[in-house]
Order: sequence, then structure tokens, then C-alpha cells
Amino acid sequence: MIPSILPFLINKKHRLQNDKAGNDMIKKGKSVLSRIAVGDALVYVPFSCDKSLRTYDDTEDVEALIARYKETKQKARGELEALGEQMKQKGGDQEAFVQAHEEILLDPVMEEEILSLIRRDRMYPDSAMVQVYENYIQIFSANKNEVIQERAADLRDVLSRLLRCWHGVPEKKLSDLEKPCIVIAEELFPSDTLSLDLDHIMGIITEKGGLTSHTAIIARSLDIPAILGCEGLTDLVRDGETVILDGVKEEVVLRPSEEEIRHYEKERDRIEQALEINRKYLEKEAVTKDGQKIEIRVNLASPEIRGKERIRFIDGVGLFRSEFLYLSQDQLPSEEMQYQAYKTVAQAFQEKAVVLRTLDIGGDKQVSYMELPTEENPFLGNRGIRLCLTHEDIFRTQIRAALRASAWGNLKLMFPMITSLNEFRRARDIVYEVGKELDQKHVEWNKDIQIGIMIETPAAALIADRMIDEIDFASVGTNDLTQYLCAADRMNSDVKEYYQDYHPAVFRILGMLAEVFQKAGKTLSICGELAGEYKAAPVLIGLGVKALSLSITNVPELKRRIRSITMADAKALADEVLRMKTAQEIEQCLERFEEHIQMESTNESE
Amino acid sequence: MYSKEITICNPTGLHARPASMLVSNASKYESTITLKRVGTEDEYNVKSIVMLLACGLSQGEKAVLAAEGSDEEQAVTELAAFIENLSE
Repeated sequence: MIPSILPFLINKKHRLQNDKAGNDMIKKGKSVLSRIAVGDALVYVPFSCDKSLRTYDDTEDVEALIARYKETKQKARGELEALGEQMKQKGGDQEAFVQAHEEILLDPVMEEEILSLIRRDRMYPDSAMVQVYENYIQIFSANKNEVIQERAADLRDVLSRLLRCWHGVPEKKLSDLEKPCIVIAEELFPSDTLSLDLDHIMGIITEKGGLTSHTAIIARSLDIPAILGCEGLTDLVRDGETVILDGVKEEVVLRPSEEEIRHYEKERDRIEQALEINRKYLEKEAVTKDGQKIEIRVNLASPEIRGKERIRFIDGVGLFRSEFLYLSQDQLPSEEMQYQAYKTVAQAFQEKAVVLRTLDIGGDKQVSYMELPTEENPFLGNRGIRLCLTHEDIFRTQIRAALRASAWGNLKLMFPMITSLNEFRRARDIVYEVGKELDQKHVEWNKDIQIGIMIETPAAALIADRMIDEIDFASVGTNDLTQYLCAADRMNSDVKEYYQDYHPAVFRILGMLAEVFQKAGKTLSICGELAGEYKAAPVLIGLGVKALSLSITNVPELKRRIRSITMADAKALADEVLRMKTAQEIEQCLERFEEHIQMESTNESE
Repeated sequence: MYSKEITICNPTGLHARPASMLVSNASKYESTITLKRVGTEDEYNVKSIVMLLACGLSQGEKAVLAAEGSDEEQAVTELAAFIENLSE
């Protein structure tokens, strides 16, 4: 593989970075998808007209001007309504854009200002519209909030529609294109992106806009590779020229050589093939070759779930962190706000388990408004459940919100930083006390709610067999467990070599835990980084772990690995790992196993 | 005139969708309805999306919601509840 890339790299090094006019041949931007497109440019220039402000004299009939203004508005509204209708038939959430534009078009304050400029300042209606819209465009663009800044694009879009209607020019659309192309524009207005010709658009490149812009949102939802913020591009590219959109390196290559085109086309095909594998494996069941089902759950750090349609391919949420509510604002979140957040996720997953981890701050996660004292050893200090038990009011609010949300799905509670049954029992008793209070108020909650613990301290791990009767489930946070087992702060780079993910002690403890939970018939899941590490997953499975929780982007590849091993392979690997003496030996052993399964899985797909 | 002090609780603030929802709700009342950030003098028409966005109230900010007209009391009470119950 390497030799074939080499000539390209050398070639690129020697290649002229500028064309004859001195322009950069590579333009940097921000990319929406890590994909590549190679194709002919279509430089899209939207309607433009003279925007200078003009006033009229006595020869003009004011009422006639106003009538023409109203007609213009009516026409623009008609276009939007037709567009909305078209969107409704297509389905999806793009209808909201059309509604937002109608809202702007019908805004009473702007209407009043425009009419006043026409009547009082004797401005031509098109000038009056420019004046009023530009004013708000400026105000929005200067706003610190990115959401509001992006709304300036909606105003520009509506203004452009109004001016085009005023001049009686018909709409130009990206909905019917003759041949495949990469669209290049200064900025794509939301209405341009609403009806894209998906059979022919291979990519989008714009000069303006960021990753939260309309173009970005649309490109993401339609799965079109796009690069945004490539300044000055429309002047550098002519219609029909070949361009390369490299979403991986976040750049656009202009006037590529034959060799570059071949290289990028190859790279594009490789990426598309890998994506295809991902799409294929996301939908598959996580079952080993000999039929052992492994539960695949995801970790969530906020109630926003990207790609809701993927929910049906996963078995629940193994770790729903609640810190986002506490860290994203400068005051404690209200019960109502928490309830809504928890309910959203519980509802989205229906009967599937959603494990909510109660507030886990302290240690490396600080909340300024709580004014917690600085500790000498924060990782050994007042964190997780300990902190909740010293701030019981905060804890009770969270439990109340969670119990109310439990009526909407299969929510489970998990306490972090447990070292003994003492604090587990205290926390559990609080849950039932809060539950009783809810009963008195006739508020619904799930009385069979499961309560479990996070195992991240060696103490909890070592007495798991003593705790098992009282807990419903447990999840291992491997990052903290490793840090406490190795007595090495994972934030301190001076002791990096002592913090070992593959330390034999980690696997030995996981093996012990898996046995305890298997015997008791209760779920043990792993939600630390180790679960998302493809290399380590077979060992975890071999040790007897039946549930893994990881980031959703890693799910397809993990499923693929699981489907290419047998339980016998995994058990043999686990036995081998448990006999090893150092982290290095274990790592080498996992790498050998890795090579072995990769071969098998390529054979399978052939 | 009828008014009430409110706090913006939802994470998005009165931007994006919550702002649109507020405009369409406010438009149902006959009264003139305004929002004023506590401690400032500028009043913003709640029936206008551009004014609401220009005002740009964010989470945690306090504002005075006021209405004048035949249904002023109902408008303020109902809209205040609507704003404070936003969760998005």
C-alpha cells in the first residue's frame, strides 16, 4: 500500500502551490462529512441587482408603488407556500425553513418600517426593503450568539426573493441539473438547498457559512459531502473545471493533475466502501459466530440523539451522563428542566434500557457556581455519590426528576463512585423516600425501577460478590478503575507510563466481576473507553461480559468484530491474557488476535 | 397595561425555534406585547421574529413581559408560562 502512495506524496511536494496568476491551488475550509468528491464545477450565482438606495419624486404615484410592493410580497409568499407544499410531500424537517421564511416575510415590525420609508422618506419600495433588511442583517451578524448570526442568512434569502420578485425575474433552481457536478457558490440560501437535484449533486462548496449554517445542516441530513468557508473560491473556479472536494483534509483542490484525480478517485472509492461496510454492519445483530448475543449500548452526554433512526440497531443507553445539565449553565438545573431531558431520552428508547448516571462531579469535573472547596486530591475526594450525599437537596431534585421520567420508558438509576454498601444504601433509601413523596402527590413513577452502581473503585470491585444481592446491575467505568488500580492520575502526563489500559490487574478484576454477575444472573456492562476499543472487546467478551457501552460511531465496527469471532476464540484469548505478566505482553497478544480476525472478516465479506 | 418579570430557563434561549413558537403564540392576542431586558430601556415587539432575535435573550436572563390591550392579563399570564416551560 505504502509504495503506491509515495510517488504521489513526492509529486505533491514538488507541485506548484500556485497557478500562473499566483492563486493558491488548495483552499482550506470546514468540512461536513469525511468524504471525497471529484467532479466538474457548477458555479452557482444567485439573483443579484442594484441595491443602491433611491428616492422618488412627485411624478411617482405613491399608492401605485405601494400596490406593487404588496404584489411583490404576495408573489414571494406564493413561492414560499408552493415550496412548503413540495417539502411536505417529501417529508423531513425542511418544512421548518419555509415556515421561518414566511415568518420573516410577514414580520409586522419590518412591514411597518418599510411602509414608513416608502411614504415618509419617499424611498422606492425595493430600496426600502434593502434598507430595512440590511439593518437587521447587520444586527444579527454582530450578535455574539452563533444561532442568531446564522439567522442573518434567512433574512438575506428572503430579501433576495423579494428583490427578484420585485424585478419580475423567475426563480433559478438547483433542482434540475443536466449532469453530475460539484456546486460552488458564495453562499447557498436555505431555499436553494431545499430542492436539490440529488441525482446530480456530488458535493457542495461555499465561500461563507460555518458548521452550524443551513447549508451544513442540509448537507449533513442529505449525506452530501460539503466544504464551507472557502473564501474567494467563486472567482477562482470556472464552470466545468474539475475540482476535488476533500472532506477528510478539509480542503478543495483546484485544477488537479491527472495523477491527483486518479489518487483522489481511488481514495473516494475506498472511503465509500468503508462507509458501506459501516452502514451494513450497523443494522446487523451483535452475535458471535457461534450465536452468543452481546448487548450493544451507547454512551450519551446530552439528550440530543443524532440520527434517531439508528436507535433500533442498538440495545439501549449504557451510560447517560447527567453532567451536561449542570455544566452548561451557571446555576443548578431545575427539576422541570431535568425531567424534560431525562424523559426525552427514556421516550426515544421506549422499552430499551436507559441507564442514567446520577450527578458525577468533583475530581476533574468542576461546577463553578457550586463553589466547592479546592481539594488536595480531588480524585480521592468528595466526588460522585459522595458529593451528592453531602448536598442532599441537589441529589433529591435530580432523583425526583428521574423518577418522574421513569414513567415514560425503561429508565434505570446508577450511582457513581461507590466504595461500599453504606453509601449505596443511603442513596437507595433516598430514592425510595422521594418515591414515597411522589406517591403522596399521586405522581406516576416506575416502582420497579432498577438501581445499580458504577464500579470504578477497587474496593467496590473486590466486594462485588458481597454487594450483588442488593444491586440490580453494575457498569464498569474502566478509565477511573484503571487510574485507581494503577494509582496513576490520568491527567498527569508525567505518570502516563504507569496508567496502563491493558494492565493485567484490569483484566483480572474484570474477569472476577464477570463471574460474580454471571452467577447471579445480573447485567454487568462496560462503559469505559476499553469497551470502544475494538482490540480489547474480544477479551471482554471472553471474560464473560455480555454488554458493552460505547460511542455510537464505533458501533458498526464493533459489531463487525463480534460477528467475526466465536466464543471459543474469545475465551481462549481471555485465558491467555489472564496468564500474562505485563501490559505490553497483553497488547502484543491482542494485536496478534486482531490480525487473525481481520483476515476472517474480509474473507466473509468476499 | 399588565406586566410580569420572567426568567429564561431553556438552554437555547429565545433564539431559533423557541423564538418562532413564541411569535406564533403571541400573534393570537389582540394586545400589543413587548419584552424588555431587566435593567435596560429597549422594548421589543414579541409578535415580530426579527425583534425577538435582535433582543436575543439567553438562558438565565431576566426580562419584563408586558401587554396592553383588551386581553393583556391573559396574554401576559399565558405567555409567561409558555416561556418558562420551554425546555429546548
